[in-house]
Amino acid sequence: MDPLWQNIFRKKLNEESLAFFLKNLPIFSELSPRALQILEGIVHVRSYKANEPIFEEGDPGSGMYMIRSGTVKIFAGGQDNAENELALLAQGDFFGETTLTAPAPRSASARTLEGTELVGLFRADILELAEKYPAVSSSIFLGLTRVVSERLQAASLEIRRLRKQLGEPSAPENIET
Amino acid sequence: MSNFAQKHRGWTRAQVALAFFVLTAAIACGLAIYSSASSLIGLSRTAFSVLFLPLLLSLVLAFLLDPLVTLLEKLCMRTGSIFIVYILALGLASLAVLWLTPHWREFWNNMGADFPRYTAQVIVALKKVIAALHDRFPMIAEFDFPGKVRIWMEQLMSAILAETPQSALKIGGLLVIVPLFTFFFLRDGRSILRACVALAPNRHFEMVRDLSYLVSRQLSHFVRGRIIEAIIVGLVVAVGLSFTDIRYAPMLGIFAGVTNLIPYIGPIIGMVPGILIAFVDLGVGGQFWWIVILYILIAQVLIDNFILIPILISRVSNLHPLLVFFAIIVGGKFYGIIGMIIGVPILSVIKIALLEIRTYRRTFRLPESSLEGERPH
Repeated sequence: MDPLWQNIFRKKLNEESLAFFLKNLPIFSELSPRALQILEGIVHVRSYKANEPIFEEGDPGSGMYMIRSGTVKIFAGGQDNAENELALLAQGDFFGETTLTAPAPRSASARTLEGTELVGLFRADILELAEKYPAVSSSIFLGLTRVVSERLQAASLEIRRLRKQLGEPSAPENIET
Repeated sequence: MSNFAQKHRGWTRAQVALAFFVLTAAIACGLAIYSSASSLIGLSRTAFSVLFLPLLLSLVLAFLLDPLVTLLEKLCMRTGSIFIVYILALGLASLAVLWLTPHWREFWNNMGADFPRYTAQVIVALKKVIAALHDRFPMIAEFDFPGKVRIWMEQLMSAILAETPQSALKIGGLLVIVPLFTFFFLRDGRSILRACVALAPNRHFEMVRDLSYLVSRQLSHFVRGRIIEAIIVGLVVAVGLSFTDIRYAPMLGIFAGVTNLIPYIGPIIGMVPGILIAFVDLGVGGQFWWIVILYILIAQVLIDNFILIPILISRVSNLHPLLVFFAIIVGGKFYGIIGMIIGVPILSVIKIALLEIRTYRRTFRLPESSLEGERPH
């Protein structure tokens, strides 16, 4: 490319930037440009080959992954012989967000299906951020809480629907709605 | 030779010669590679030994200054806040130099005259003790203990005098290098750590990131705690000594602070010169006992054991006394007096890292095993 013409394509380059990718995720959609810039500095971009395990059930979980490109399969049951596919995730999806704040073993395994680029955000980075930029980290946590509670709500609705399908009398309501 | 060559499937003379040359060349190459490799190892060892002390000092300084820089970072850029901290530190250091300079000059002027005097006094005292012992245990008469002490003291003095210009040069170099290194550690420490963590393979990346965070947090607490403890103990000793007529009070304070970095043995070494000087100059009296009480009861028991250690240092980093002695001996073997001082903290650092890894693994193993019911308790 002629260096003279490079400036014309700057917009396009911006769209390929990490900040642009993060901004388009539901978790970080309400972050300010400065917060995005700081966030860009603490996430880890990792590239995976096809069929590479990202984590396995029972691994110590300490953060979430966002898919920048490629496909990821989430499955339960550990080894390949009896894989129980739970979800197939593509670009823009994210997973593992429940272990970001509370250290817990992974509840399912994740594996790439093709060459995949993941953006990792880990508890250690968030905790360091919380000490340095409390305002930025609280807006990240707010977005995270929103997404997690949306998922929780959907899950509890699903549980109620399944109960009804089974014909069980609806149990005492102890699930947050 | 040609006979042999012909017998063995028609090797011609040229082929045998070629084989000979190839083998010789191979051996020569091997030797060359081996010798260059060993010289490479030697080179890297030299580089390491040259860089070791400045790197260590600047890492410690970076750990120490990091909270301050992070605090200021909320107001301006990180580089700017590092400069502000540097200017503050420079101001403090120049104040300290101004305060110390008269004492320093006095110290150097008197040191040459005083040291032999102290030695002589100690030897006189030792002779008395030996004479008293001699009355009870006649068999130790052959052992010339005071003579040995005198020779040893003279050797120590001449070593100090000979080393001083050399070490002054070294310290001058450190004064330039250490702030420079510290600046970069402060500015880029996080990205250096990130780059190191990024080298981990995908499968273990998450765990490495978590552990690096836990270990570095524990480490910075530990290093900061030890240094602040040493500074406070040094200050207490210096201030306490300045109430008496003892000379070299600031120097003795610094010495007590530095040696306080070594557990168990350090405080004892730190109080020896002070008590010796007090004994020789002031005699056994009110001031002497005040100094002994200051060193043992106030600085060590009250300030250090009851106040500083519980606040600053977690029991996690406690080492078994035997390990402390090992660290001091091995550190002294490698890097002399500096090695003795840093050996124990380095061992504690290793212990902290290992403990963090263990607790991390345990944290994640427990819920898993309880799920699978592997360990019925």
